[in-house]
Amino acid sequence: MNQFAKLGTDIASLWAKYGGTYMGGIYRTLILATVGTAIGCLIGFLCGIVQTIPVYQNDSVIKKIILKIVKVILRIYVEVFRGTPMILQAVFIYYGLPYFSNNSIQFDGKWLVSIIVVSINTGAYMTESMRGGIISVDPGQTEGAMAIGMTHFQTMTSVVLPQAIRNIMPQIGNNFIINVKDTSVMFIIGFTDFFAVHKSVVGATFTYFPSAAIEMIGYLTMTLLASWLLHILEKKMDGKSDYELVAVDQLTLPAGVYHVGSGKSGKDLSSDERAVLQEEKARKTADKAIIAAERTADEDGKGVRRDGRT
Amino acid sequence: MAVHNGRAEFAAGTADAGDTIISVRHLSKKFGTHEVLKDIDFDVHKGDVTTVIGASGSGKSTLLRCINLLETPSSGQVLYHGDDVMGKDMNVPGYRSHVGMVFQSFNLFFNKNVLDNCMVGQIRVLKRPKEQAYEKALKYLGKVGMLPYIKAKPRQLSGGQKQRVAIARALAMDPEVLLFDEPTSALDPEMVGEVLDVMSDLAREGMTMIVVTHEMAFAKQVSSQVVYMSDGVICEQGRPEQIFGNPQNEKTKEFLARFLH
Repeated sequence: MNQFAKLGTDIASLWAKYGGTYMGGIYRTLILATVGTAIGCLIGFLCGIVQTIPVYQNDSVIKKIILKIVKVILRIYVEVFRGTPMILQAVFIYYGLPYFSNNSIQFDGKWLVSIIVVSINTGAYMTESMRGGIISVDPGQTEGAMAIGMTHFQTMTSVVLPQAIRNIMPQIGNNFIINVKDTSVMFIIGFTDFFAVHKSVVGATFTYFPSAAIEMIGYLTMTLLASWLLHILEKKMDGKSDYELVAVDQLTLPAGVYHVGSGKSGKDLSSDERAVLQEEKARKTADKAIIAAERTADEDGKGVRRDGRT
Repeated sequence: MAVHNGRAEFAAGTADAGDTIISVRHLSKKFGTHEVLKDIDFDVHKGDVTTVIGASGSGKSTLLRCINLLETPSSGQVLYHGDDVMGKDMNVPGYRSHVGMVFQSFNLFFNKNVLDNCMVGQIRVLKRPKEQAYEKALKYLGKVGMLPYIKAKPRQLSGGQKQRVAIARALAMDPEVLLFDEPTSALDPEMVGEVLDVMSDLAREGMTMIVVTHEMAFAKQVSSQVVYMSDGVICEQGRPEQIFGNPQNEKTKEFLARFLH
């Protein structure tokens, strides 16, 4: 118990002195992770969409060739940036671009390089996630859209992508949480994120363990908060699990109180809509009679109706 | 538009041919070496209700899917008002918007509610103003008895309800022909009736339909033309009285004997 009390006082004194520094680190980590994930998602969405463009037999040869080349380039991008450590990518871009351009391209701040590296790294992973998300949407959805005359573009924007993005929300969450932690490798180019703060603080105070405890709590708070927010977002995307019957009981409600949605009262209904409702009412009564008749028929001979319906 | 030219040419030929909406000519479809459709020929005239019957695996659904090019035929032609739908200057999405399709597995858009399912095609494909699309959607949802459910998502509906929404979605595009790919095969028995009722109503109102089905009573009572398929070929086609009352082909006789007795 004694040790815990000691840790508590150590953390408190450390925080009193360096609280602002730690908060600055958290702030920079969050900004970098958020912006990097957002841009990375955008890159991933675009690349994933391009990767899944279908090729039809009667497409022109030029279209086929261009598409093939673009897909190969994207494939290489994904494999290279997924297959090398982000820490090396940072070094490559931060020192590599000035090296190859004879110092005509140089980076003034660490921010730009850090955001670029995190974005393209996340983009590589998201490309695959997006491709998976698009493939996982039931092919029947695409067929349904094509059958009413939608082009590939319309099918994607109206039907497939909304479902694909919903399906990969957990992946986006994963990537964000990974980025919150992995942006710490940007110390290699001198970016002072939350973890870099730890190193500078312990360099001055030698309080390794209390500072590490602060780091632990800090990172956990960030990631738990992120999971929670994403969970809420997912729920919001799913919409309500129940739905409002626009007309509860056609038979007892007079047409006058029928309303479409919340903004439209019965008075606003056009005469066409009223006619439709009347028709619906009649049909309901008829349906009930048919169902009742069929029940009796079914009891007479089970399975007969399915085969013969005579 | 090329479509209308084709129609005019046909009309000039014979009076009857002017009403032909879809002609299938020597249509074949191979999956690898497996030949699913062999040299299929038939015509669909305005107002026809053509039912395609036959055992599972006889190529009925593939035929339907070839008509609106969800499958690409291996050879042969599908003519829409005389124009080859696989021709170089055919606008395939445009053609599909004139040929509605109702699927066995409904294929309603999961991310949209019932009303939006019926509006999205009108707005995005036909470029109808929103109010007009809304009214059309309500009209047809009323017709299939789904008005109370316009706010529901597809997952919240029963199979029969989903299929009725799918029919309304297809109708809202004002198609010239409606293709039905075994519309009742995925339904529980007690829901078959509600869908067949809607289809019978459509037939009575003069909708041109091609229906692939196992519902023999429907084929017998509602259709104007019955096509019996077996092993990828059309064995027999004719009026329902003739096919069901006096089938000529041995395979047809055998098939119907199994179904009707």
